[in-house]
Amino acid sequence: MSVFDIFLQQLVNGLVLGSFYALVALGYTMIYGVVKLLNFAHGDVYMVGGFVGFLVLSVVAPMVGPGWTGVAVSMVVAMIAVGFLGVVIQRVAYQPMLNAPRLSILITALAVSLVLQNGVLTLTHGQYQPMGADLGFGGVNLGLLFISYNQMILVGTAAALMIALELFVSRTQYGRAMRAISIDKDMCRLMGINVTAVIAVTFFIGSALAAAAGTMAGAYYGSVWYFMGFLIGIKAFTAAVIGGIGSIPGAMLGGLILGLLESFGTQIPGIGSEWKDVFSFAVLILVLVLKPTGLLGKSEQERM
Amino acid sequence: MKLTTLLATTAIAMALAGPAYAEMKIGILAPTTGSEATYGQDMANAVNLAISEINAAGGVLGEQLSSVIGDDGCDPQQAVNAASKLASSDVVGVVGGYCSGATVPTLKIFGDASIPFVITGANSTKLIPANPGNAFMINSTGNDQVAKAIEYFNSVGAKSLAIVNQGDAYSQDLADLTKKDWEAAGNTVPAFEVANKGEQDYSAIVTAIRSANPDAVFWTAYYADGGLLIRQLRQAGYQGTIAVGDGSNSPELFGIAGSAAEGVIGFSNPIAEFLPGAKDFIADYTAANGSPPGPYAPLAYDGMHLLATAIEAAGSTDPAAINAALMDADYPGIAGQITFTPENTLARSNFVVLKGNGGKWGLAQ
Repeated sequence: MSVFDIFLQQLVNGLVLGSFYALVALGYTMIYGVVKLLNFAHGDVYMVGGFVGFLVLSVVAPMVGPGWTGVAVSMVVAMIAVGFLGVVIQRVAYQPMLNAPRLSILITALAVSLVLQNGVLTLTHGQYQPMGADLGFGGVNLGLLFISYNQMILVGTAAALMIALELFVSRTQYGRAMRAISIDKDMCRLMGINVTAVIAVTFFIGSALAAAAGTMAGAYYGSVWYFMGFLIGIKAFTAAVIGGIGSIPGAMLGGLILGLLESFGTQIPGIGSEWKDVFSFAVLILVLVLKPTGLLGKSEQERM
Repeated sequence: MKLTTLLATTAIAMALAGPAYAEMKIGILAPTTGSEATYGQDMANAVNLAISEINAAGGVLGEQLSSVIGDDGCDPQQAVNAASKLASSDVVGVVGGYCSGATVPTLKIFGDASIPFVITGANSTKLIPANPGNAFMINSTGNDQVAKAIEYFNSVGAKSLAIVNQGDAYSQDLADLTKKDWEAAGNTVPAFEVANKGEQDYSAIVTAIRSANPDAVFWTAYYADGGLLIRQLRQAGYQGTIAVGDGSNSPELFGIAGSAAEGVIGFSNPIAEFLPGAKDFIADYTAANGSPPGPYAPLAYDGMHLLATAIEAAGSTDPAAINAALMDADYPGIAGQITFTPENTLARSNFVVLKGNGGKWGLAQ
């Protein structure tokens, strides 16, 4: 492969990886926007999404086959189920804490993360579950550059979900309410907006996006396990911060940037794959120092 | 005053507790949860099978054996807790040890507590200098595996080799040793990569490997992540030989990697179905656990029988006597004869070469 081929291939790799990061980062940023909570359980919601997708796929695969049709059905079911899980988590764990100090609710989020992780650990005995999806190995060869159909479907699906989200937030009444709440929750309440309902919708959408990513990751990479949400949770948080936490386009951009940074970070001579994460997190620190609001984040009042 | 009373009470309690033992406890150190749980469960099941056989034959020194599990989770920190738990459970010996990285820190704990430790799985050469003298390794070490791997790569005419490890004691050790010996033999290592444990996406490493285009790729870490790498290598169109070390010889590899694992080469310690003397063991294990034994079960089974034989030969549960008996052991296990070198490692190489065929492992040679 020539240097240019490697560059293009890593670009494709970065886009795929970045799509996963962006989908998970969106949940972080939306939830932060409406309740000012860093939902550290979000990576585990992604993991639960992967498991729900796995369970649904094992049921529907005999009927519609283990290909993309089966994965699509599993993804939709996982999105709905995990969306409701997100609402339940919000009602049970976060709603009573909304007026408590920030630190208390942050610790509650960590507790929810541990509950989800250890719950699935106990149920699955810590075993990897082969997803059972059969997506084939086809793709397009452009010289030495190879783009699989799976990668195209993944990036396409992620893009479609993000466009749908953007339309929802910018064009619908709920979307408008979400943006308003992120600016001033108390004023919204006085104006007669059902703040509790809008927060619930936000958790539903954020969790559903994470579940979509979890199911697709399980199908694409081949397996799910209880710890799969930990690293991506941290990375997605990083992506959200790079893009500007609270900003939806920022989360998309941050996810893609982080994915690309990681792919290219592997290729830097003398650094190599061992230092990939060091490289990514160093960029996080740089962003925090140089532009604490992130790339697309604005001042405190105008977020989201 | 209170302190002396407490001490006196404790002393009396201990004196009373001593002769009251009806059972002799054996510790099992294995990752029964976590990413390597499949192996850990197999090991625990095999040790318990050996214990039930020993008990049915009258026990050891006239006492019945029972087991206590210390779950190391393949994690160095959790392993320290598990080893401390076993050490404080009055076990007369410990059998197990699968992940080398998790086993290394337990050596000092079992050494300080004078508990004989038969290591049945872990085989990193890093265990050898860390051994206080009471640990005995019945699996061939990393050096033997490197020799077998290089012999195989030469046999298929490979000249360039990409090596991928996970930066832990076991996989890094195997990767470094392979690189050193492979290059010393006049061959090249165009890609030497480290994958983060728990990462799902290996595309960047896959691209680095494809651009280096080596004759073969050697994954030196464990099956769960190895399955992901194999799958992504084949998805990206890599056509060369893919080989995996003994941490990836689980049948689960085929569940994760799917059809991509066809033709994959595995270097492995003895697997039950290929051992001539293991027919009864397979039948008994399957009857007791409902599934056939995994790759580390025969060694764990041998390890327990070896320890029982050594205690019997020592004539007491005195750690020094048991250690001496282990040192002099010449035990015919189902996985082969066990004798030790002066470094307490197995005196012969037990590695075989496997090949993925029809969704499971078969012998390659």
